[in-house]
Order: sequence, then C-alpha cells, then structure tokens
Amino acid sequence: MRRYTLGIGDREFVVDVQELDADHFEVAVGDKRFEVTLHGDEDLPEARIAPALPAAASVAASPQPSAPARAAAAGPQAVKPRTAGASLSTLAAPMPGVILELHVKAGDRVERGQAVAVLDAMKMHNLIGAPRAGVIAELCVAAGQAVGHGDPIVRFAD
Amino acid sequence: MADSGTLGLLMQGLNHVTPQSLVMIGVAGVLLYLGIVRKYEPLLLLPIGAGCLLANLPLSPLVAEDGMLRVLYDMGIRNELFPLLIFIGIGALTDFGPLLENPRLVLLGAAGQFGIFLTLLLALLLGFSRPEAASIGIIGAIDGPTSIYVSGLLAPHLLGPITVAAYSYMSLVPIILPPIMKLLTTQAERRIRMPYSQRQISRRTRILFPIVVTVLVGTLVPFATPLIGMLMLGNLMKESGVVERLTQASSNEIANAVTLFLGLAIGSTMVGSEFLKPSTLAILVLGLVAFTVDGIAGVLFAKLLNRLSGGKLNPLIGAAGLSAFPMAARVVQRVAQEEDFENFLLMHAMGANAAGQVASVVAGGVLLALMGAG
Repeated sequence: MRRYTLGIGDREFVVDVQELDADHFEVAVGDKRFEVTLHGDEDLPEARIAPALPAAASVAASPQPSAPARAAAAGPQAVKPRTAGASLSTLAAPMPGVILELHVKAGDRVERGQAVAVLDAMKMHNLIGAPRAGVIAELCVAAGQAVGHGDPIVRFAD
Repeated sequence: MADSGTLGLLMQGLNHVTPQSLVMIGVAGVLLYLGIVRKYEPLLLLPIGAGCLLANLPLSPLVAEDGMLRVLYDMGIRNELFPLLIFIGIGALTDFGPLLENPRLVLLGAAGQFGIFLTLLLALLLGFSRPEAASIGIIGAIDGPTSIYVSGLLAPHLLGPITVAAYSYMSLVPIILPPIMKLLTTQAERRIRMPYSQRQISRRTRILFPIVVTVLVGTLVPFATPLIGMLMLGNLMKESGVVERLTQASSNEIANAVTLFLGLAIGSTMVGSEFLKPSTLAILVLGLVAFTVDGIAGVLFAKLLNRLSGGKLNPLIGAAGLSAFPMAARVVQRVAQEEDFENFLLMHAMGANAAGQVASVVAGGVLLALMGAG
C-alpha cells in the first residue's frame, strides 16, 4: 500500500494505492474505491494520464473524483490508457495485422470476453475478445482489412 | 525346369530379409504414422519415413552405388548443401522486426540454448565421444537444419537418429512447452501484460540488420558463417523487396524440393546396423533433455529479467527463446491468452523467437569451433 497526500488548490486528497496483482490496483480516493487495471507503465515526459476503470468494477465509476485519481496515477505507478486515442468506448487492435473475421455486427450485445474478431498477426490467428459487456454501435473495419496497432475494431454504443 | 540356382536368384529378395530390416521397416511405419495420422512435421517425417522404408527393403538398389537415395545423400547431406539451402528459405520467412523493436530480447535467445551445453556434458558422461556428444547436444537448438548441419560435420553416423529426434521434438513444442511454462511461473506472472511497443523500424535498418549480423557473427564465429550467411541472405532478399521472385523461390519452390530430397536422404541413413543400437535410444532421451532444459532455462532467465525490469517482462516469453520459429512464439501467445484473453504477447514472443533462431545458429558454430571441425 502506498499513500499519496496531494494538494490541489487548497483542497487536500489522500490517495491510497494497493497492489492486488501485477497489473491490478485498488485505488482509494477519500472514501471512494476503484479497481484499476494497469495496461502500461512507462516514463513519458508529457504524458496525459488517466486510469482505465473497468465498467464491471464493483463500484460504479463516478466522474467527479477524476482529478484526484489522475493525480494519484501520476505517482511512481503511472497508469495510462492502453493506447493513445482509444478508450473503453472502442476495442482497439492490440497489434498490427489483418482482420480475418468479425463475429459481431452493429446492434449486437456482447459479454466481456466474447469473441469479437479474429486478427491475423505474424500468421497466427488471434481471437480478440470484448473488453467489456455492452452493445456494439459500429464496426470500424471489414474482414480482410489491415489494421495498425491501436486502430479501432468496433465501437461500443454506451 | 528351374534348378535351385535359378530359384535362388528369383527368391533373392526374400532370402535377404533380415530381422533388422524388418524392425527398420517398422520404424519407417512409425515415422509415416506420426507424419500422416498425427501430423507431426509431416513435410519431413513423411519423406524420412519413406526414405527409411526404401533403404531397408532387401538389396534395395536405391542405396546401392549410384542408387537414387545414395546420390541424394552425396549431393546434399555429406557436403551440407541441403540444410544451407533450406536456411535461405527460413531467412526469407523470418521477420526480425519484433526483435529490432525490442533488442534486449536477444538475451532470451541466448538463454534458450542452455540445454545444448548441458546435454553435451550429459552425453560425454554417458560415454559418447566429443564430436558425438556435441552433435547430440545440438538437438537442443530445436532447429532441424542446424542439427543436420552440425551432426553431418561432426558425427555423420548419428545423423539419422539426431535428425529424427530434432524434428520430432520440434513438432512436440506445443505439447512439451506449456507444462514447463506453467510449472515455473505464477498466475500473476503469466498475467503480466506487455503492450505492443509500436516502434517503427525503418527500411534501412531492416536491410542493414542481416548484413551487419552476417559480418559480426561471421567474424566472431567463423564456423557459423555458412548457416548465418544463408539465413541472413534469405532475410536480406525479403527485406530489400527488390528480388521478390528469388524470395518466393527460396521460401517455396527451392525449400519444398530440398525438403523432399533432404528427408529422403536422411531416411536412407537409417539402416538397421547403424540405427538399432542402444545409442539411438540414448540420443532420443538426451534430445528430450536438451529441449526441456532449453525451455526451463529460457523461462527462468526471463524471470530474472522480469525482476531486473521491475516486473514488466512476462516470463512466458522466455520459452520462445529456443528456436522452432515461429511455433514457440505462438505457444507463448496461446498460454498467455489462456490466463488473460486481453494479453497479447505475440510480438514480444516473436522477437525472442527470432533471437533464438540466430542464437541456435551461433551455438552450432561455437560447437563446431570447440570441436575443431573443418
């Protein structure tokens, strides 16, 4: 457990970061608790930092404490989103390759982990699962299309 | 009326059936079964099985002087031509991009060769001669052409069992590696995510890489020059993009034809008097030891790197440090995804795997240098 006491303006926040797993942290800001997944950790001189909060977390993420949460993440265990420009509203390609199959269509409801697409990378077929439960709003790629790292594959409606 | 002499001539084949040749035909049957039914490296085990079958038929003209299998052996195995031709094709199929993006993975490739040297020592203890022990150890390179190349130079009489062991264990990578990986890592370690680094590698770097590696390795380990030179020639052709036809020919037509010739010729070396010895069994067991130790050393070394890097490196990718490109990397990806479907280690594993490919070639060269082969 690591405690950060941070001042923003004239307010003071106490942020506790508890390591649950190599990439899972419990972050407590005041009396609010968040389960945070660490997708990457590197030193960037001018990084924009925001923790990725899984929607399935036991506590609903409320938008208010985002400022202190960001501040907490700015500590040694910096938390940043998986890819630049992508958030939980999209499923992004984890590596470059070619989309071989899409198992969903716009309007489908998917569960977390449900197969969404098959990505051929380095001649291996990789199953890409939904990062969270939700409704697919839009397919961003077609089967046979090449994608780069971080390119959106599908967009979620909510 | 046929006298006994004429009858003897007609029955020559039957009269020359020996128990040994019958056993070897049985071995050929096993190889064919493994290739056709179990689909273990069928491209190699089928021709090897066929070569073994043909060579062990009574009085087989194929292995007599100027027989086809003998000609193939003289043409490409005795002088090492075939494994080198195959290496051009492997180079043309290998993508060193992931390794260039993350050069420290070279260390994992080196660790994945540990089994070679441990097995060499074990083989010496079991009473094999030094060149024989080195040839058996090279099974730990988990790379068929390298094994054929080294044992062809050092111990040609063991070529059959060593090649069969090397290719059999290569095909067993998806079966043997995962239990080792799971045994040596914790669930938390297997779940360590390694985001794709996305460093753009310039075309110039990709073209210079095979040239620099050839010069460097060739200078440091001259015995590795033929292998590394052909591997990197194939890669240079691929990355340069200007000789598409040669790249295609090397990785398809030439590699396919040579694979057939190589398999047949290797199979023809498996004749009863040479193959049916306790040493063959010892080679199969030692090969398995070499393979297992490679996997263990790779994962343990990756665990060490994980500590040094502050927990950022998933130790699973250490298992890709042995050769068997690209199968070992795929196995790593599969095991990682079993734990966490959002974890994609493939690119990192490919980097370690390509490093293992180069490292096993270098290890082969080092062995040849140690044995003073020419």
